[in-house]
Amino acid sequence: MSKELLKIENLKTYFDTWAGVVKAVDGISLEVEEGETLGLVGESGSGKTVTALSVLRIVPRPGKIVDGRILYRGENLLEKKENEMQKIRGKEIAYIFQDPATSLNPVFSIASQLIEVIRRHQNVGKQEAIEKAIELLRLVEIPDPKIRIRDYPHQLSGGMKQRMAVARALSCQPSLLLADEPTTNLDVTIQAQILGLMKNLKKKLGMSMVLITHDMGIVADMADRITVLYAGRVCESASTITIFYSPMHPYTEALLTAVPHLAIKREKLAVIPGTIPNLIEPPSGCRFHPRCKYARATCSEIVPPLEEIEPEHYVACLRAKEIAIRSPLES
Amino acid sequence: MDRKSSMGSKSPGQIVKKRSKGVSQWSIAWRRFKKNKAALGGLFIIGVVVFMAAFDSLIAPFPPNDISGFYKGEARVPPSWDHLFGTDNLGRDVFSQVVYGAKAALYVGFGAAAIVMSIAILVGLVSGYYGGRIDNVLMRTTEIFLVMPFLLILLVFLRVIIVLAPSGVGGLSMVTLMIGAFSWSANARIIRGEVLRVKEYEYIEAERSLGASGRRILFRHLLPNVLHIIIVLTTLQIATAILVEAAVSFLGFGDPNTITWGQQLQNAQEAVKEAWWEGIFPGLFITLLVLGFSLLGNGLRDALDPRLRE
Amino acid sequence: MIKYIIRRLLYLIPLFFGILILVFAASRMAGDPVQLMTGLNPHITAEAKQQLREYYGLDKPLYYQFLVYVWKLFNVDLGNAYAIRGGLPVTTLIGQYIWETFKLQLAGLFLSLTISIPIGIISAKKQYSKLDVSVTTTSLLGTCIPVFYMGIIAIIVFSYYLGWLPPFGAHSLFPERYPFGNYMLDELWHMALPTAVLTFALLAPVVLLVRSSMLEVLRQDYILAARASGLSERTVIYKHALRNALIPVVTYIGLYFGGVLAGAPITETVFNWPGVGRLFVEATRRLDFPVIMGITVMITMMTLFANLITDLTYAYIDPRIRLE
Repeated sequence: MSKELLKIENLKTYFDTWAGVVKAVDGISLEVEEGETLGLVGESGSGKTVTALSVLRIVPRPGKIVDGRILYRGENLLEKKENEMQKIRGKEIAYIFQDPATSLNPVFSIASQLIEVIRRHQNVGKQEAIEKAIELLRLVEIPDPKIRIRDYPHQLSGGMKQRMAVARALSCQPSLLLADEPTTNLDVTIQAQILGLMKNLKKKLGMSMVLITHDMGIVADMADRITVLYAGRVCESASTITIFYSPMHPYTEALLTAVPHLAIKREKLAVIPGTIPNLIEPPSGCRFHPRCKYARATCSEIVPPLEEIEPEHYVACLRAKEIAIRSPLES
Repeated sequence: MDRKSSMGSKSPGQIVKKRSKGVSQWSIAWRRFKKNKAALGGLFIIGVVVFMAAFDSLIAPFPPNDISGFYKGEARVPPSWDHLFGTDNLGRDVFSQVVYGAKAALYVGFGAAAIVMSIAILVGLVSGYYGGRIDNVLMRTTEIFLVMPFLLILLVFLRVIIVLAPSGVGGLSMVTLMIGAFSWSANARIIRGEVLRVKEYEYIEAERSLGASGRRILFRHLLPNVLHIIIVLTTLQIATAILVEAAVSFLGFGDPNTITWGQQLQNAQEAVKEAWWEGIFPGLFITLLVLGFSLLGNGLRDALDPRLRE
Repeated sequence: MIKYIIRRLLYLIPLFFGILILVFAASRMAGDPVQLMTGLNPHITAEAKQQLREYYGLDKPLYYQFLVYVWKLFNVDLGNAYAIRGGLPVTTLIGQYIWETFKLQLAGLFLSLTISIPIGIISAKKQYSKLDVSVTTTSLLGTCIPVFYMGIIAIIVFSYYLGWLPPFGAHSLFPERYPFGNYMLDELWHMALPTAVLTFALLAPVVLLVRSSMLEVLRQDYILAARASGLSERTVIYKHALRNALIPVVTYIGLYFGGVLAGAPITETVFNWPGVGRLFVEATRRLDFPVIMGITVMITMMTLFANLITDLTYAYIDPRIRLE
């Protein structure tokens, strides 16, 4: 298969708060290969976003990366100096935030926010930067780019803002795009447009992408492979088809059962019982055990390692081989 | 949502709330408050001053305004064991006067804050809830009070009232009333803003569409939801009112018949060179009491409204 | 933009008249101005009083008197003092004292802003560091010490104990006392202590505001996004964050300016400073309403002007206001 672009090994990012240490990411490992889209799924609080922020090393205070390695093209980003990281951010690895309404600075024009990034990473003059910015807006299919570029964020609609954020992320043709729930805050129709756009651009520019979402429908459509997170750890990692048709982790099963359009035949939409655990004192052993219907006594004692149960199919469950989960898709 | 709930100072609050279902917001706030040493320190200072005010005649070694020292040639003597804080120009014991001044400071602080908050709550709630023309009229009025030169107008009104009622109607109460009547505007604006925010909550929308009366929504739903802000503002307002009264007394516009710390400072000012102790101690107590209420107010804000932490 | 300015101007007019009415009401509540004017003269006859009343138009209805006052105001005529300074025109009196007030208050305001904004930023940048803790503690204390108390302590320490600076007044009485015989140096020498005290008093609340506003902004997504774009920490803080953090600070300063000017009576009393603040205290003791109203109107106008400047700055910083 193709080369790996990003490899995260045993990443731990903790938040030292007054109530205790929040272990938001507690030993996550994953890989992104060149040209592929990895879907990173899980409930709120599972550590998806913190993982992505850790890659760029921009976890806000009081968050701290305490352990692990993040290899980008074979180099450990955690060993880089701050000014070296600044050359990677936005140029090699770009980030799209969840809420376009808050991720654009309200007091600067679109032009100034684009030009700033372009000139930071590319050695071009102001005029050239403006032309590049207009070209970018055309790329993300914003109509009348020459006029719109003078607008301020509050003058744009939600969808336009997100296109603008995509344009900023792509301004220096990054090799890896971290897209953090890029469509969650948008209307359904706009969602489809933005996702379509991202899919096209990814192909056009030959990027890799990590798509963070809690929406199984979106990953089914966009991702080549999926990594499922739960409470700061990886549960399962495999190709999209494997995850959907032969999941092996009980949490993946629960996630799939909770997807509305997969459950059309059921009377009621299933919900996963219980709530996300407290990450200050997480459950012992397998973190999912308090909510898992297959749990046994050992599950609360032993931390399940992430094992390659089948080729290219990694699962962290002590009972993965015994329980024989059937995908809800087949029922 | 993912990021917000899993990091930053916001998340622990949420997690704690989730874990302790059934425990009221207030007891969570209390638990948070107990950990705040600065706020407890503030509470301690206030406690000491309240104690001074409650048992003033037991604590003070001399009766109020006792000028017998003057005749013994003990005017403006420096601090000693007999006179812990020294004596002033009339031979009064500065320490005793400071003790008697505690009552006035607390009276003005609590009294003015009560007046300020009553007006501010009424204006804020009505303006925020009803909106439209009522809001417009109330907010323009509020702005007049916000922009006017507060201290100047306060001094004029205090002076006019003393001239109108030479026999000293109310005395300190009048000072309190005037301070209250002129300093509500900023708090009214804050409460209005908060009401506007709470008003958008869905359950209040629902209540309204179910036909609940305006008064019911105002007092059953909006008021409890802005109560935490009101508590914090009240505490900070007490501090401000104490400062304002001290300034007014210092300029000689306070109640001449009450012993206040500001007045002691006014007396002291003519002789700072000869008798530093006359002003240093009363001023220290003003500062401490104001600090006490500020620390308490900040602590309450941190405890009641984690959104405003920092 | 011009529309915005006009709208703000129109909005300030009712505010101005509202305050004017408030002070006017207070002045008439106090009773018969002629009584106040002649109170010290035991020989005055009732007839003469009546003549004075007619002369000042005090026999006319109140609203008429108010309109006359406003009309005269437009002609820069604030009337003559009743009781103090030998009945000089109020405009002349203010003219004599205003410069000293401006010198002191504006120096304090300017210095405190130039010091407090960078301190607030650095403190926010290094939240919970030793520096931040000492800055916030000092500032909190600064908001709790009454300015006149601070002034008294400063006088005791720097004038009497150390003997470095003059305790009060704006000038030496005799030119022989000028340091190096220089008048300008003498002015600065007298200004030093009051300016320092005022600066410290004004500094504290602004530091706390800048810090909390900055912390709030640093938590925003667009700051994270700016970092994620590889911008330098300097650009992130001083361009992206600062511009946003200044919005509430600017709003505050507009209101604050009025408070600073209105606080003149306190600072000027402590340092025996010959400005309008002390003139105001003197006039208020004697209920000299032309002077009281003159000073109040002037300070109100300056406050409103400062508000207008604030609005314009606000619009300049925040495109959401400019381009609505």
